[in-house]
Amino acid sequence: MECIILASIAEALKCLLCREAGGATPQAYPRRSEAESREFKNHSPLPERIRQHARVAIVDGNGKSNRVAIDASLARELRAIVGDDAIVSRRSELKVYECDGWTIEKSAPDLLVMPRSTEEVSAVLRALHRRGIPFVPRGAGTGLSGGALPLAPVMICTSKMNRILTIDLANRRIEVQSGVVNLHVTNAVKANSYFYPPDPSSQMACTIGGNIAENSGGPHTLKYGVTTNHVLGVEVVLPDGEVVALGGPVDERCGYDLVGAVVGSEGTCGMVTAATLRLMREPEGHRTILATFADVEDATAAVSKIIASGMIPGAIEMMDRLILKAVEAAFHVGFSPDAGAVLIVEIDGLEVGLDERAAAAIELMRTCGVTEAKLARDEAERALLWKARKRAFGAVGRLAPNYATQDGVVPRTRLPDILRVINAVSERHGLAIGNVFHAGDGNIHPIVLYDERDADQVRRAIEAGREILTACVEMGGSLTGEHGIGVEKMGEMPLLFSPDDLIAMTELRRVFDPDERSNPFKVIPTPGACVEVTSPRRQVPL
Amino acid sequence: MSAALEDVATFGAVEKIIEPQSAEEIATIVRKCEADKISLAPLGAARTLSQIRRAPVQIGISLKRMARIVAYEPDDMTVVAQAGLTIGELNATLATPGQRLTVDPRDPDATTLGSLIAAAHAGPLRLSEGTVRDLLIGIQFVGHGGSIIRAGGRVVKNVAGYDLMKVMTGSFGTLGIVTEATFKVRPIPENYTLAVATFTDADAAFAATAKLHDQIPLIHLEVMSPRASSAIGASERFVVLAGFAGIRSELAYQSDRIASVLGSTIEMLDGDRALELYSSMRDLAFGDDAVTARIAVLPNELARCARESSAEFIAHIGSGIAELSTSTADPGLVARWREIAHSARGHLRVISAPASIRSEIDFFDRPNPGAFKLMQRLKSTFDPAGVFNPGCFVGAL
Repeated sequence: MECIILASIAEALKCLLCREAGGATPQAYPRRSEAESREFKNHSPLPERIRQHARVAIVDGNGKSNRVAIDASLARELRAIVGDDAIVSRRSELKVYECDGWTIEKSAPDLLVMPRSTEEVSAVLRALHRRGIPFVPRGAGTGLSGGALPLAPVMICTSKMNRILTIDLANRRIEVQSGVVNLHVTNAVKANSYFYPPDPSSQMACTIGGNIAENSGGPHTLKYGVTTNHVLGVEVVLPDGEVVALGGPVDERCGYDLVGAVVGSEGTCGMVTAATLRLMREPEGHRTILATFADVEDATAAVSKIIASGMIPGAIEMMDRLILKAVEAAFHVGFSPDAGAVLIVEIDGLEVGLDERAAAAIELMRTCGVTEAKLARDEAERALLWKARKRAFGAVGRLAPNYATQDGVVPRTRLPDILRVINAVSERHGLAIGNVFHAGDGNIHPIVLYDERDADQVRRAIEAGREILTACVEMGGSLTGEHGIGVEKMGEMPLLFSPDDLIAMTELRRVFDPDERSNPFKVIPTPGACVEVTSPRRQVPL
Repeated sequence: MSAALEDVATFGAVEKIIEPQSAEEIATIVRKCEADKISLAPLGAARTLSQIRRAPVQIGISLKRMARIVAYEPDDMTVVAQAGLTIGELNATLATPGQRLTVDPRDPDATTLGSLIAAAHAGPLRLSEGTVRDLLIGIQFVGHGGSIIRAGGRVVKNVAGYDLMKVMTGSFGTLGIVTEATFKVRPIPENYTLAVATFTDADAAFAATAKLHDQIPLIHLEVMSPRASSAIGASERFVVLAGFAGIRSELAYQSDRIASVLGSTIEMLDGDRALELYSSMRDLAFGDDAVTARIAVLPNELARCARESSAEFIAHIGSGIAELSTSTADPGLVARWREIAHSARGHLRVISAPASIRSEIDFFDRPNPGAFKLMQRLKSTFDPAGVFNPGCFVGAL
């Protein structure tokens, strides 16, 4: 058996060429769709958009529109599948579904269906497939990046698919339909001291299907991981109506990890109808520390110290002066009026070690100038702190008529740098910017305050948001930590990924959805046609 | 030429080996191979490749010259490294500030990051720390047409774009050549302690571990059959190994709880003794003559599966994963084990088998038809020329 170690690439190629009888120059295999690649390269992040007031029509480079006429036969067929009580076709009722938590863009669907079972979803998708009609999956519509914005005529909502199918505590598994509400999963197993870790702030409303689409996070994902770390298997109905079971109840994959491809694909790989989730044992106890600092810099330094010490708290959340003012006015938590920033640090684990670990965390924060650090005395105090944190965005409504938030991520050590950028951006544009962070992950949520009645403020708010995201990417970070790209950040994707990267991602999507009919015009900017942002980012709680 | 690479020639996994120095060089090779329909596969020590390939690939891409740490900022707890670096080399660097990569397959000094990802290797720490798919947050690979593709990034929380990290994990070199990877790292736990208990009866050992897993958060938890445990010098009987860590007060509490479940035969190891036994357990190999397979089943079915297999085993409690081994070179036995795995809603993958029976064994289990159809589409999309390690993955993809 011949085994040659070749030192240089030149030799390697020579060796390969030797295989060619007569040494004919071989034809180069075509590069990854060069034409497509060029298109992406020429593609401006802000291409043309055709937008009407209440409806968005998007036409891609080939003149293919998202708007396809719904004929009466389709409506009849869908009605026959799901029944009269599970279909909405009246314009006034459809208005409810014209957007998700990203309210800047609106476009009501022409038809909404609410199937009850996988079989009904499959039948609906087969009917659409025969006619080549695109569709938009929708959970609870709490998404923050326009992932459920109907840029297709038919919307399929999972609200009637809300059954918990099996609970298997011995194996720490739960199997649910995709319309089950996030919090209901934990509620179903709480009595036995289990929980489902991903806890987005919308967890009282958002669905598992939506969580899977967006790969949702939440404060406690610092320690316990995001959705993708807890989904073992999914049942997906492909856009042609075929039902496919991916993954399963066991811990390893058989073949390619297609579950991992579906989670976080923002509804572009078909409809997820059911999922097998991994549950975790609740930690024995918590200590929740409220730490007050003179300014954000000190608080950020404390976060770095805690992380660097090797301690992994359940959560580390930060709020700055502006947010604190709003939150205090709304919830009367007792934040000091002088506080420049607070951290909520939650330590969890074995009860026996919690006091010592909490004391160690407080000690670390003392070296960073903490002005006050106190433990929540009881569950009620802890609940109040978390309520203040999770509803911080709602409270901001008191400060300005409108606000826009970002979801950028930076490496943890760059938090002080991104804060300086945010301050500079705020000054340059003359707009107040508040900060609520998942500080432990480096996931920032700057909130730009503005008044939409002032066109120049709107323009500055858009610019401010874009500058912050660009800085995140330049610092080695990302455009989004947990809200998803949706339509909102499609235009910024080329900041993060090369044309070849985006093409590879599109290829993956087409494995599931060759015609790109499932949630079209999302995530990957379509060369030559994607949504232009003319209004600042959403203003909804996260 | 390293010993491992000489072995490659012996096993006939590849015809020629190339050692490129950059992703760009690999891209050139890939384009050339696609043009000429020359098969190629990435390899580390080529242990996996030499098992699963029935016929050699024409070109083996060794990444031994691409073994650099690209970026490491301890306070970010992330590291970017080239795929030719071994886990052992990576951990040597990470240990200085007290961190480590928490995925721990056997022989970290022979396992490159590329092989870790491609073969989705895992070890005992999966119970508490997850596997490659949980820790891999960014990737670079050379795909078809010689495109150099990146996905993910360097931050621990990131949902921008499709998760190509997951797609490449466990793809056995069939979709492209991984050149660089970004991992989350974690602090080395304080005061690692290992509880060792022996049992004469497998059922009693499994019952005790089920109770332990239910009551106490552990770092890892194993049951080993008598020959497996004697191979690491632990006992001649069934052995339970329960690893835990923490501050002093937590250790004392956990020790008490573990002792109350496992009974009086328990031995508590700490410091180097604990680490040595853990390393032996992690590195346990059943030998070249053995047939070794990994089953993944429902965790509460693991005891039954281990018992019905009549195999020597190391079982990872809580994860539902076990490695089964027998010295009988019988392809029929693999088929029987596979049926057992299927009966517990799981599947089985053969890790190694003697050369004499390899051609009679399916190394990979078969996914359900619907999933398999998508996998075929994925393969033909990411490898239209059919040159990336063809013909040896699930369903001969």
